[in-house]
Amino acid sequence: MAAQLIGYACSYVPVELLALTGKRPYRLLHGTQEHIMASETYVRIDACPLVKSNIGFIMSNQQEFAAIVGSTGCDMARRLFDIIGEYCQIPTFVFDNPRTDRYQIYSDEIDWLIDELSKKFDIDLNSKRLAETIETWQGKRNLYSRVTEQQRNHPSRIASYDMFTLAGKYHQGLISDMSSPEENISDKPRVYLIGSAISYESIWLLELIEKYLRIVGDSVCGFSRFSEININGTDIDALKHGYYDQYGCFNKRPNTKFCEGLGEHLCDSDAQGIITFTLDYCDVYEFELNRIQNNFDMPMLRLRSDFSRQNLSQLKVRLEAFAELLNDRGHYAYRAE
Amino acid sequence: MRIAQNSWSYEDPRPDKIDVRQWSRRFRGFPDGLISNYQYFNDATWGIYLQPPATFMVYGSRELKRLKLDNSLAALRMWGFSFNESERLFRARQSGRHVIATMGDLGIVPTIVSAFKDCIPFYPDCTWWTPFFNESTVLLDTASELGVPEASCFVRAALAAFHKKAYFPLPEMIFASTGTSCDDYSSIMQLIENLGRELTWLEIPFRRLDRERYGNPGYEPRFEEYLVHEYRIVWDKMTARYGPTGLRELSRSIRQANRLRKLVAEIKSDVYQAAIAPLPALEMMVIEFGNLYGYGDIGEWTKIVEMIRDTVKERIGKNIGVLEPDAIPIAWVTPSADPYLLNLVEDMGMRIAETEYVINQAMVLIDETLKNPFHALARAFMQASLIGSTRSRVQRIISAIEQKKIRGVLITNMLGGSHCAMETRLIEKLLGGVPVLSIDVPAPFGITEQIRARLAAFVETITP
Repeated sequence: MAAQLIGYACSYVPVELLALTGKRPYRLLHGTQEHIMASETYVRIDACPLVKSNIGFIMSNQQEFAAIVGSTGCDMARRLFDIIGEYCQIPTFVFDNPRTDRYQIYSDEIDWLIDELSKKFDIDLNSKRLAETIETWQGKRNLYSRVTEQQRNHPSRIASYDMFTLAGKYHQGLISDMSSPEENISDKPRVYLIGSAISYESIWLLELIEKYLRIVGDSVCGFSRFSEININGTDIDALKHGYYDQYGCFNKRPNTKFCEGLGEHLCDSDAQGIITFTLDYCDVYEFELNRIQNNFDMPMLRLRSDFSRQNLSQLKVRLEAFAELLNDRGHYAYRAE
Repeated sequence: MRIAQNSWSYEDPRPDKIDVRQWSRRFRGFPDGLISNYQYFNDATWGIYLQPPATFMVYGSRELKRLKLDNSLAALRMWGFSFNESERLFRARQSGRHVIATMGDLGIVPTIVSAFKDCIPFYPDCTWWTPFFNESTVLLDTASELGVPEASCFVRAALAAFHKKAYFPLPEMIFASTGTSCDDYSSIMQLIENLGRELTWLEIPFRRLDRERYGNPGYEPRFEEYLVHEYRIVWDKMTARYGPTGLRELSRSIRQANRLRKLVAEIKSDVYQAAIAPLPALEMMVIEFGNLYGYGDIGEWTKIVEMIRDTVKERIGKNIGVLEPDAIPIAWVTPSADPYLLNLVEDMGMRIAETEYVINQAMVLIDETLKNPFHALARAFMQASLIGSTRSRVQRIISAIEQKKIRGVLITNMLGGSHCAMETRLIEKLLGGVPVLSIDVPAPFGITEQIRARLAAFVETITP
């Protein structure tokens, strides 16, 4: 049976282009110990757990992938493609995603990607088909955005693990299954989630957090970040701008736009505290935490993980204590000056 | 090496590696005329830099007491000059020169900066050696206080140096290259900006090879155009601040860089192919890294490297050197932040016969025949070590293995360093023709018996 998936590994990969190949876009967001262990033949133990797990997943599911697309957005994720190229037969396409504000490079590279995908998959880029695909995927992002409004309500009306399930359908290309989750009202202390990418298998973490708190928004790859992409138009230029102009990745230099975007999200969410979820060796995010704490001056709980549950009891205690802290403080949320 | 003037003469002794005490004893016998012969910035008042290494030990480089150094005059000049860099940068500022920080690209932007009158480029990145030479965790601890995780590249010392304002003068301008390169340093540069420094960000493009389609050099020409755009930004910023200079000056600066690069290539070739290693690995590493920017006075540094070249040739001519003839040749991949490791490897019976120190862009020649010098610089940078695939990075080592020039490969990593984590296993596979030992360089004072034992086992494995 022909491979049905086209894998991708960055929020700057236009998923619409992948969908036009006729394959199912599938974001690489795995985080299991089994896959991590399997990956350590190929990379050192101090590689990013998400990248390691993705390597393990790809290696054990090679027949599923018709191709994998990635960007130079972060160094470890970029080098994943070197590993795949050396050990697998899966075609890989890596485009240069500039760190600095250089739209021309991004635009040229998306043209290159279209060219490569066209050669490989006979992409139909006629304007009608492209427009339909953009509208379909934008429609799903709009649906998700509407749900996030309910999540931000007072009281919050949607549980984060239901949001995450919905986001997972988007990331796995199962968009026809996307529909609004059922209400789940909570008046627990409101927190905003930031940090490294979160894996499909991490739903347990969200369930655990929501035993004590309510997540009212996030800026996390693998969770809600995709909903920040807003394509105003139905042509290639609109597609490029929609992806390029998203709120900004913490990897961008300078990452002012990321910080400003985070400030706006915090205001909108009316969160009382921040939970940071960073992966071991995800230096790029870890480096930013002090600055985020200083900028927003909000209670912050720093969680660090390798996707394992080894510290589950400790995690429960810390979450409970954080919830107590927020309850004691009463309602206090970040307000931009 | 023999130098004679009317009233004095000097001659190198038989090659050896000696400690700082031995150097101090020898230095006492140096004629004054010899010492005053060598000056940075051509300044006889305060530019004299020939000093016994113990001087720098007193100033803080405590690891010198453990190191063994080459006993030639050329090597003494090299150490005096490189250890003097901090003083030289402060002197540059005092004497009205403009100190410009170039970060992240390791090898090209300083060539542009040097085209402007009285502008002195330097790499704060190179502060990563300071905690080791100083046997001090002050900079690393400060970096931790500033939010940098401990499991990250030692280049975090650069952030602490900016914060402490003591290791180099505050630069008048900072050019920070990021993009397809290591994440650790990109994050460090962001934190430096967060300290309130004004950075001009430059984009490093991806080298995506497709030789079937693009022949040589193997990538789409537009990637060079992107770099030209970045180098124009540097040029325009420098022009706006320091006044216009001609492209002729840039071509002159390129010729100067190439002169140094040719010399170093010649030395590397001579040293690595000699029957007996004529120069130790530690000095060779300092020489290679000098290609980045000439340690703040590229003219004087080039003269030093010329003297080293002559010393090497003389030793080879006499078939003498600093290591045993049966020292086992290995390649070294990724530089060690701890200089002591280079000594240790030689003490255990190995010699370095090939290197990949992540600075290939500083080793290749810049094409002087191209009409547009910015294009020439871009083409040179596209040979950079870390912007393409791991296979392309270690191709030279693979060739050395195929030609049976080396019997093993040593990789020195930084725990948590983005490219170390992802590349090392793959490098081990690609260099599978010979045994490969991969070690993590520990923090200062961290070289333990375990590392020695692993090196000893490695030597046993590769001993014929």
